[in-house]
Amino acid sequence: MVETGIPKLDEFLGGGIPKGKSLVYYSQPGVEGEIFGMQTVYNSLKSGGNCVFVVSSTIPSITKGLFKEFGWDIDEYRDRLFIVDAYNPLIGAPSDEKYVVSNPDNIENFNKVIIDLIKELPPSTIVFGSLSTIMDLCGEKETIESVKNWNKMAMLYNHVLVYNFTVWPYSQETLHLIKEELFNAVISIGSIAERVIFGQYFGILKSDWAKETKTSMLFRVLRPGGIKLFIPKILVTGPFDAGKSTFVHALSTRAISVDRLGTTIAMDHGHVDYKGFSADIFGTPGQERFDPIIKLLSGESMGVFLVVDSTNPADFVRAKHMLDITKSYGLPYVVVANKQDMPGALKLEEIREQFNLPDDVPVCPTVAKDKVGVFEAFEVLIEKITGGT
Amino acid sequence: MADTLDMVDKLLADLKNIGGVEASIAASRDGLLIRANMQKGKFLESLAAMSATMLGAAETATTQVEKGLPTRVIVESEYGRLIIVGAGPKALLIILANSNSSLGLILIELDKSARKLKEILK
Ligand SMILES: Nc1nc2c(ncn2[C@@H]2O[C@H](COP(=O)(O)OP(=O)(O)OP(=O)(O)O)[C@@H](O)[C@H]2O)c(=O)[nH]1
Ligand SMILES: [Mg+2]
Repeated sequence: MVETGIPKLDEFLGGGIPKGKSLVYYSQPGVEGEIFGMQTVYNSLKSGGNCVFVVSSTIPSITKGLFKEFGWDIDEYRDRLFIVDAYNPLIGAPSDEKYVVSNPDNIENFNKVIIDLIKELPPSTIVFGSLSTIMDLCGEKETIESVKNWNKMAMLYNHVLVYNFTVWPYSQETLHLIKEELFNAVISIGSIAERVIFGQYFGILKSDWAKETKTSMLFRVLRPGGIKLFIPKILVTGPFDAGKSTFVHALSTRAISVDRLGTTIAMDHGHVDYKGFSADIFGTPGQERFDPIIKLLSGESMGVFLVVDSTNPADFVRAKHMLDITKSYGLPYVVVANKQDMPGALKLEEIREQFNLPDDVPVCPTVAKDKVGVFEAFEVLIEKITGGT
Repeated sequence: MADTLDMVDKLLADLKNIGGVEASIAASRDGLLIRANMQKGKFLESLAAMSATMLGAAETATTQVEKGLPTRVIVESEYGRLIIVGAGPKALLIILANSNSSLGLILIELDKSARKLKEILK
């Protein structure tokens, strides 16, 4: 298996791409699709593999600069990275690369270089920076014939082939072949506008080795950082003094709170970067006089942390009521049993009982002031939000 | 979808071109950043969230005392001003301007833009 390095995607694919298989990133114009192939290049280098990167839409030095922008040092892996320059000859510039496609507008030239590499190299990850550019230059039919051949060869020689493809207005036939027939797996990448969330997503359109998943994931591209799964809003709510603000700060790479006289009067806002996820966290006030603000802030959440003070069961009614005010029923939520360090803190089972919680709602123990358990709780909620497997 | 964002970008760029305007931002009513036009965009997400809270709190306050909906929230601060206007039921617009800016001009343009944004997001 070769991992794609795209968070969650490898999990959906049952671990990655098996040797000998091909995968295409099938992306709508206007979304940041080409980064997928690059992230796969960097990831396979990082995990010790050989990698071929076919650069056909810009000069290789610019591509290398892009890797740097993402914080990916590819120089370190020079001896395992083979760049195929299929651009410089096009503009009549000399190439510094060992592998050059001398006439990038002639598919035979591609064939020669690619087939040689396939035969020469030990099992590697071969990534095409832009299949669509090759198609534009060499013709749709011609390119498709070659891709069929490359995929077969790669199967024989145990390489993994990965293509970036941008869905320009090609013929129906071409698009059909790419989506349905040419590749073992198709990952679609597009954009959505759902109410006010404008985002980019990816999802598995097809894969002949992993069981089907219908989930698609929002992502954003960070520089540095690359592709991160994007969760625009996670709500942190719960009764007065439960430790919501403390929780938001414990979890966040950076966070701010509008607290006065020790209580939150507007909100907490934090940003979490953790294990390939990029999430924004909204903490509400807890006191009832701020209920209008709590209502205001809670729209569009993708999941909820309900924070309670484990020593204060008297507030559990209020806690439940807050799920109501924030319209959180139906959203994935976890109960954060905070202040577990205090004497008299109720055990998780006791809290579950007092709340009369459904079985599928997790209760996570935390000591937010010491950052204990907060990331575990994050992982539990994220798993509920992204689930799908 | 890409078209909608292009339109929002254009609208924000036009606002940003007004003298003294340092940033123009579109956010959702519930505090999510939609799009921004700003030099260095570090605290954009928090700014969007805070602005939505301020406008929401202002609206709650004035309607509760039967003064109707506020037209806008203007925050005068040491080195400039922050202006927030609602743009339909889904969105709001935020302007950061320096102290030398002409408030009158900004407000006229901002109101126009708010009406446009409302249409764009319909
Ligand atoms: N012992 C203990 N104290 C905690 C813990 N987490 C938070 N606290 C304390 O509890 C108090 C309230 O914490 P906050 O984070 O402000 O609580 P909040 O839920 O945001 O409160 P409001 O915004 O006023 O509703 C503070 O004094 C914290 O230091 C914990 O895990 N253990
Ligand atoms: Mg608080």
